[in-house]
Amino acid sequence: MSGPPEEKLDGTNSLLDRMLLDEIAPVVMVLRTQLVEEACQKNNLTLIQMLQPFSVFGNIDVPVRTVNDQPYRLRTFKLRLVYASDICQPNIEDSEKHLKKVVSDANEKALNDIQDDSPKLEMTVPMADPEYMSPWFRVFNKALLHTVSFSDHEAFDHPVACLIVVSTKDEQPINKFVDLFNTDQLPSLLNDGAMDPKILKYYLLIHDSQDGSSNRANELLAEMRSTFGPNDCRMLCINSYKEGDEQRNDNPWSRVADTSGGQDIGCFLNIDDVDEIKDLMLDLSSKHIIPYMEQKIRSLNQQVSTTRKGFRNQIKNLWWRKGKEDTADALNGPMYTFSSIESQIRVLGDYAFILRDYELSLSSYRLLSTDYKLDKAWRRYAGAQEMIGLSLFMLDQSGKEAEYYMENAFSTYLKMGSSGQRNATRCGLWWVEILKVKGQYKEAATVYFRISTEEPSLHAAVMFEQASYCYLRSTPPMLRKYGFHLILAGNRYNICDQRKHAVRAYRSALPVYKEQAWSYISDHVHFNIGRWYALLGMSNAAIQHMLEVLACNHQSPTTQEALLGDFLQIVQKLGKKYDALRLRLPVINVASLKVFFEDHRTFASSAAALVNEHVWRSLEEDLVPSVNPSGANWLYSLPKSSRKNNDSHICVAGEPIKVDLEFKNPLQIPIVVSCVRLICKFSPISSTGEYDLDCAQSVNDENGGRSDTGSCDAMEVSNRESNDDCSSFISSEVDFTLEGDETMMVQLKVSPKMEGILQIIGVRWTLSGSVVGYLYFDSHLAKKNCSKGRIAASKKTSKNKLKFTVIKSLPKLEARIHQLPLMAYSGDLQRIILEVSNHSDSSVKNMKLKISHPRFVVPGRLEDLDMEFPGCLEKHISHDIHDMQDNAMDKLKGLSSFPKDAGIQGGTTLLWPLWLHPVVPGNISLNMSIYYEMVTPSEHMNYRILRMRYDLEVLPSLDVSVQITPSPSKLQEFLVRMDIVNRSNSKNFQLRQVSSVGNSWHLSELLPTPLGDQQQDERTLKQETIYRSSSNCPRQLLAVGQGLSQFFKLMEVSKTSRLKGALERQSSLSLDISSISKSEIDVSSMPLSEFHIQEIWHQEKQSAQEQGRTVDLVLISQWEKTSPEPEQQSGSQQLFVHYLCHCSADMQSPIQWQMDGPRIVTHDFSDSFCEIGFQLTIRNSSDYIASVSINTSDDIPFPSQQSDPSQTSHVGWHDISLSNGGKVPSDIQGQRNTSTRTSVDSSLPFLWCASSSTKIKLEPMSSMVVPVRICVMAPGTYDLSNYTINWKLRFGTEENSVSGLLGRSWGTSPGHPFYLTVLQSS
Amino acid sequence: MASTACFVIVSRNDIPIYEAEVGSALKKEEAAHQHQFILHAALDIVQDLAWTTSAMFLKAMDRFSDLVVSVYVTAGTIS
Repeated sequence: MSGPPEEKLDGTNSLLDRMLLDEIAPVVMVLRTQLVEEACQKNNLTLIQMLQPFSVFGNIDVPVRTVNDQPYRLRTFKLRLVYASDICQPNIEDSEKHLKKVVSDANEKALNDIQDDSPKLEMTVPMADPEYMSPWFRVFNKALLHTVSFSDHEAFDHPVACLIVVSTKDEQPINKFVDLFNTDQLPSLLNDGAMDPKILKYYLLIHDSQDGSSNRANELLAEMRSTFGPNDCRMLCINSYKEGDEQRNDNPWSRVADTSGGQDIGCFLNIDDVDEIKDLMLDLSSKHIIPYMEQKIRSLNQQVSTTRKGFRNQIKNLWWRKGKEDTADALNGPMYTFSSIESQIRVLGDYAFILRDYELSLSSYRLLSTDYKLDKAWRRYAGAQEMIGLSLFMLDQSGKEAEYYMENAFSTYLKMGSSGQRNATRCGLWWVEILKVKGQYKEAATVYFRISTEEPSLHAAVMFEQASYCYLRSTPPMLRKYGFHLILAGNRYNICDQRKHAVRAYRSALPVYKEQAWSYISDHVHFNIGRWYALLGMSNAAIQHMLEVLACNHQSPTTQEALLGDFLQIVQKLGKKYDALRLRLPVINVASLKVFFEDHRTFASSAAALVNEHVWRSLEEDLVPSVNPSGANWLYSLPKSSRKNNDSHICVAGEPIKVDLEFKNPLQIPIVVSCVRLICKFSPISSTGEYDLDCAQSVNDENGGRSDTGSCDAMEVSNRESNDDCSSFISSEVDFTLEGDETMMVQLKVSPKMEGILQIIGVRWTLSGSVVGYLYFDSHLAKKNCSKGRIAASKKTSKNKLKFTVIKSLPKLEARIHQLPLMAYSGDLQRIILEVSNHSDSSVKNMKLKISHPRFVVPGRLEDLDMEFPGCLEKHISHDIHDMQDNAMDKLKGLSSFPKDAGIQGGTTLLWPLWLHPVVPGNISLNMSIYYEMVTPSEHMNYRILRMRYDLEVLPSLDVSVQITPSPSKLQEFLVRMDIVNRSNSKNFQLRQVSSVGNSWHLSELLPTPLGDQQQDERTLKQETIYRSSSNCPRQLLAVGQGLSQFFKLMEVSKTSRLKGALERQSSLSLDISSISKSEIDVSSMPLSEFHIQEIWHQEKQSAQEQGRTVDLVLISQWEKTSPEPEQQSGSQQLFVHYLCHCSADMQSPIQWQMDGPRIVTHDFSDSFCEIGFQLTIRNSSDYIASVSINTSDDIPFPSQQSDPSQTSHVGWHDISLSNGGKVPSDIQGQRNTSTRTSVDSSLPFLWCASSSTKIKLEPMSSMVVPVRICVMAPGTYDLSNYTINWKLRFGTEENSVSGLLGRSWGTSPGHPFYLTVLQSS
Repeated sequence: MASTACFVIVSRNDIPIYEAEVGSALKKEEAAHQHQFILHAALDIVQDLAWTTSAMFLKAMDRFSDLVVSVYVTAGTIS
């Protein structure tokens, strides 16, 4: 067996080594008289405190021999001096108190920590170093170890020696020495037989130098020596300090008794005294205790060897123990007295351990543990295991075995239940240190965790915290575990009312969870920190943490309510409104920020402001003078003042800047938000007239740089300043309540009152009346580069987006439209009134109006205002023209100017009628821009534009289509079939009037005129030629969903009569009167004529292919007259006007003809054959000259005679789509050709007289009468259709293109059937 | 005994993508953050283990009192 290696002995490298030195060191029991203590107290020290600094030896250098005579030298050594009264198992309550005190003392330190800024993780990592780590952990751990001191099952706490101290002032000191040891006051360990009461005694006589000379003391010492033996006695002189003595350099007691404090410690102990004490302790250790222990080890070893070592002894031992088995059933096994071999082995092991002979101690403990195990003495067994572990570790630090024994000891202690629990803790702490030395921090943390589960909260808290640092120290650092254990620790601290520690632990954990999406964790941590801070009275810090929790939308509503309630309570405790820069309730969506301001562009409504700028630009193209550079685009380089302000917007003093901002309540509970207003910065124009840009800039930077709440107060001041500065701008305040999960768009306004530069910096609001939140846009906008409505188009920096140059106040028009419905049926003609008012003092001029949908809205005349609707539309005498001045092209574009005199004086209002006539069903967005110029132009703007926007929903009403068919019997006469379907969903319509527009057509009712009554027809025609257009009144009611077909007769008015009419009436057009009860609507006057023009324009676009003669029809209808219930809100009847433009009245071929002549002829065939004359009226309805040849033939006509393939294409019935609007070509002719021809019974032929072929030339749109004759030989009925008409159009130069459009340029048509009956005269 | 379980999908950067509380136990306010704490802390272990084993399913790799954490690690280190 070799001695312990030298280098091990002075190793105090690890914490474990130090702990072992501290804890497993020989105990010296101190017995003293009261007077000794009094003498020491002069120095504010107890006796032990006085001696303690000198009981630790860094290099005692005492030679020792092992049991095998191996010499080695002991370096570090320590004596534990304990009063005899303290040598007992500590009272549990006392030790708890002590532990609590340790923690509480550390509290103060913790408080300092938590007042700092939030910890950074990088800073925490080095903190985990044990040297750096809070020293109070060591104090705590030590105190925890001491709770199980002086147990009877371990020998290293048993006193090795006894120091008996008596003062020279004591009466009969020699007797005192004897009395002290012999009293019954000795610790129970000595009395109850757990240890050998015969221990080493050392007699010390204390002499207080202040009590006089040491002569008597020396006498007493001599007496002692003779009584107790010469070597075991000693005298110590203390308190020999006199004035003028050499000052000690350092105070060895400073660390011993920090509780008593002050400089008085050891004040009467001079250097000689100290040296004497040092000498005393060294003598005690090296000359007495160590040799004594060495000696004891030898004798014990001898004894053990004889009784236990060797094969024979082992067998005997086993046999003997088996016999005892039945009796030993107590938990701690049998009682072992000091004289039992087990106790002696334990003493041997412990002494060997103390003297660092680990080999010997290990073998002893091993021997012991088997015995105890057999005896089921579990506490002793565990204690032995524990020591085996330690010994193994001291022998070989890298071995794994030590851990195994520690674990075994730990779990054995735990198995014993509560009595072993504290031992387990101690064992665990040893174990942890072993693991730490090995660098196995993760495992160490686990052990801490295991300890904590057995300990009360306070201890557990400290254990958890130590575990967390272990996780931090492990490689790689296990930060999440670190955080988790800190939270566990904090939680336990809180349970034990150690709030500062709790806050400290939680705060340390914060960096781990920072910017993580683990919402519940983050909420828990912040909420608890906040709550504890509040309990500690640190409201500001509490609120800051609470702020983090407020927007906890993932929590349940009750939790949310509780959190908010707690938060508000804390704030209220503060007693004033709290300014929070990071208030996240409600959530403000900065990206939703929209700024509406009005420079030269003004808006009648917010809806108008939301429309994209380019929509307005294109609408206003013709409106705005192009030379004017105020297109607000800075890219136009301007020589003038606007150049200088190109980085900010222009707004007008007195006009509000509106900011739309979205507020969202992330919670499910309602929150009250009040006093929401914009934070603005205003810098007036400096005296030089230049804008003080730099100044404003610097203020902005300052604001933008603020991010922490520390500068909140400063901000508050600046806010107050700006808000108090009422002379420069007014900021509106808004209050509202957000329901759970509600998002609200809030409009905030700021109105500058004077010229200068206004910058919107942010927004502030008050939550629940107690917390003021701030949000600065700068930082957010810079990040997000958010779009900001119409301003997004301009390439300005985000900062400048909220910066405005305020110019002096200008006139501004406001406008609205009266009587504009939100919903209308298509065709509904209404009068709406535009009200434009000028609230400023100065006047505006040159007003112009541009409408985006000129088809639906046309400006009326000023007189329309006074007229009754719809009476004004009925036929009247001609009127003066007081129209807006504009040309036809502008009208189509929707541009119109107000009359020159229509400028608006300051403070006056202009009313102007507009006509609304929505035609196309669907949603229509009407955009209108009013342009006006200032009478007194300003430097910055000469004109302004007022933009209006209205949304209108147009519902379908009537669906009208027209089909025009040429009359088969009459030229220039057409059958109009008007299909009307009521497409509305609830309204019945009453048809009122159908009119044809223009002077070339005449519309009449389809009278039941007898066929062949040609003369009468012609008369009617002549009678009515004075009318340019004609109307018919069907007086029909059309219910919902019902369809109706109306037939009218349409006659083309000949050119001559047209001219005549034109002379009669110059500009106004009249209509037929057909209505009985109502006067007729004048479709050719304003505004119907206006809309007609628009419709022509638009419908032409749709049907560009339409050629030839067309007719425009107007259908006027109204709602069904119900009971005399009040009329619509407009107070007038609804009038629906449907235009059908470009209805084709074209023939199949451009040439039509008609045969006129007698139908029945009576002739006496006995005289001669009969000769009958007919007239063939041929009409060219094309725009080209046509040459026509009439060929007669005497053959019997056949049905297959048709030569024109196009005429067969639509034979029979087929669908005619109503939506075609009557543009489907008619097929009546074709039908006739096929169906009638077959039934002809031509018996005897007749002969065509005169030439068999006649050629004529027809001018465009003209007709010619060609006479034809036939000879009939016999009476009978004849079909005179056996002729053909060949025609050919003569195109001009552009023949090809036109032929393509027309389809046909030539053709051959068979004759129409004409039946002639010839009778034999009687 | 009413059992409770918390299921979380965690992305590569420790950010929970999906969270669900399952089980028959009465919903406790405590449970939500407790589970998060445990699961979050368990990620340390996952990180450790994920590189030492080829198994994707790490059964009962961490525990806290009566709560056991099992993890399925995908190839993309989504847990």
